[in-house]
Amino acid sequence: MGKQTWKERVPAFASVLGLLVLIAAYYIVGAVRDANVAYGLKAIVNQSVVVALVATGAVFIYTLGSFDISLGAATGVSALLGAMAYNATGSLAVMFLVCVGVAVALGFINSSLASIFNLPIFVTTVAMMSVLSAFMLILIGWNGAGDTIKVKGRDMRPLDNIPFKVVILVLYIALCWFVFTLLPTGREAKFIGGNPVCARLSGINEKKLGIIASLISAVGIGLGAFLTIIYAPTLTKDTASSIGMDVIIAIVFGGMPVSGGPRSRILSAVVGAFSMGFMTQIMSMLNLGSGYGQMIKAAIFLLVVFIALGSQRGKLLTR
Amino acid sequence: MKNLKRILCLALCLMLTLACVPAMAAGSTKIGVLVADATGAEALAFRAYYEKYIANAYDVEFIYSEELNTADGEKNAIDNFIVNNCKAIISFSSVDRPAQIEQCDAAGIYYAVATGTLTDEEYEEFKDYEYYVGAIGPSLNTEFQVGYDMAAYYIDQGMTKFGIFGGAVPYRTDMHIYRAASMLSAMIDKGGEGAAYQGVTDPGAVIGMIYGSGSIETGKIGNLELAAYVGGYDFDDAWFGKLAQMAGTEGIEAILTVGSGVDVLGSFVAGSSVKLATVDSFTSAMGEAMNSGIIDYVAGKFATSIGPIFVATLNAVNGQPIRNEEGYALALDQGYWVAANAEQFAQYYAVDSSEENPAYSKDILDAYAPAGVSYEDFAAFVAQYSFDEIVALKK
Repeated sequence: MGKQTWKERVPAFASVLGLLVLIAAYYIVGAVRDANVAYGLKAIVNQSVVVALVATGAVFIYTLGSFDISLGAATGVSALLGAMAYNATGSLAVMFLVCVGVAVALGFINSSLASIFNLPIFVTTVAMMSVLSAFMLILIGWNGAGDTIKVKGRDMRPLDNIPFKVVILVLYIALCWFVFTLLPTGREAKFIGGNPVCARLSGINEKKLGIIASLISAVGIGLGAFLTIIYAPTLTKDTASSIGMDVIIAIVFGGMPVSGGPRSRILSAVVGAFSMGFMTQIMSMLNLGSGYGQMIKAAIFLLVVFIALGSQRGKLLTR
Repeated sequence: MKNLKRILCLALCLMLTLACVPAMAAGSTKIGVLVADATGAEALAFRAYYEKYIANAYDVEFIYSEELNTADGEKNAIDNFIVNNCKAIISFSSVDRPAQIEQCDAAGIYYAVATGTLTDEEYEEFKDYEYYVGAIGPSLNTEFQVGYDMAAYYIDQGMTKFGIFGGAVPYRTDMHIYRAASMLSAMIDKGGEGAAYQGVTDPGAVIGMIYGSGSIETGKIGNLELAAYVGGYDFDDAWFGKLAQMAGTEGIEAILTVGSGVDVLGSFVAGSSVKLATVDSFTSAMGEAMNSGIIDYVAGKFATSIGPIFVATLNAVNGQPIRNEEGYALALDQGYWVAANAEQFAQYYAVDSSEENPAYSKDILDAYAPAGVSYEDFAAFVAQYSFDEIVALKK
């Protein structure tokens, strides 16, 4: 196998090129529409950072060739319990620890159940999604204050700023990149995702990797829950409900195959999340109704996936 | 090379497409609209009034949000409006109103509440915010009265056995609790000697009991009877079963609903002698339900009821916000139209839905709420919200 030519490398960067195109389109449309472009960038960060965090952690699970459909529900439960902890203690540190701790506990339960019953992770996450959604309703009922759980917005304001959120995101991405790229964990996960039989025969413990992937993903969920409370301190049963689907879209949009394997990349999640953010803002500036906006997003999504997978057609199929 | 060409082609097509999209009307005042419901008949009626009449009559452009059911969704939508240089936001979404007001105030854009109100505590906190225009909508007193009048209408006809659909009572939604409590209060007041709900007669106590339990108990209320009660919006088999059971309760004469009466009970009462009453809105679908006899009594929001809050918002954007003598924002009550038969409904609906001369037409709004109008004059104008009063204003 020889060195890759630049032609062969292009599909790998298709998602990044797509993000650059969207950024350019954002500025062009913003100029034409006389939009508040600077404010829009702040809005894009606010709207994309939680998805980017959760999706970055979820890359570990998707790399294994599995997926987690309970990401949104887990984020919602972590946020609700974090908010209740803050209301009980008045401590942001406690709120942070509860958010991350609950998420890690849920991740451990997911992966342990999969390990004990010898099931794929996604099967247990399907059950967990229903359980957690119901638990959110119970939590809101326990709170006894109508259909919301609220934290004082003024208390969250000092942390509701772009630099803080960007720092959290960058630190988490750095951690995930380190584990994924420099430690054997990432290579083993890619191996399992690419060819689980060979990976198993090579002595890689799939269940152990599943637990590690779930725990790393859970940290992202906890951070996402923490930032969700800071951004919007009124939580409902629908809080974070769209994150599960947004994560899948972000990961695929970022150029990573949903089937995982050796072509998995940590930065796919961030690229995809912010691509979605820019696209949403462009649709907003064009004042396209939600129906037209969704159709255009879907079309661009299909096109990006087509281009990103273009180099694989006609060759031996990877998993 | 092939993929790179594809990418560049995509980019070029995207930019060319964007360049071809017609620019928005230059100079129009942009107003963002937050909506909790984007597809319901009531929401569509409100939108039609704004987009088909108001936008043509005034130099404004409305930008609508997607359907909102979370606080972060509301925040994102407001951010999008700010990016689009909206001068004001009219909100039909109430997940986190305080956060909405704070966000708009920080951004320097006006914020108004349509078809709703702030709580007393919220009003005290925000009444002197520079960019808070105010709220025009049914107060809790109005919500109480609408349920009371509904129940009283049927009791006065001699009916004695009722069912109540409580809607969002289990979720502690104020307006549904007040509507349901007032139905019980009407039964207490007209149920004869000794009539009481669970031993209490005071309306405040009834409200408190419903808040506490999140439910309503069936039973005798004097010589009247609450024979059946269903609450919540579970939309599962068990819930539908309870609704069917309520509609089929032996001897039941009328079912009073705090909302969504046609949607949840229409199919169960169709063809029966059970009268169905609801608090809803004046839409064509409701008119069809009245004509077919499914619904007997409607206390509804009328589509053009959002005219006054629009003109108040526009006045604020144009530098003349309507404030009371203490400089506080609007907090005005606006109630419902009541139709007790199909002919009355049709008459009201024809006026409300007219695209040429709706109830709150430009002539009315300009005449009674011009720029610089005083708080007292504007309040007096809004208070005349009944069908007959609005028709009189038009003359």
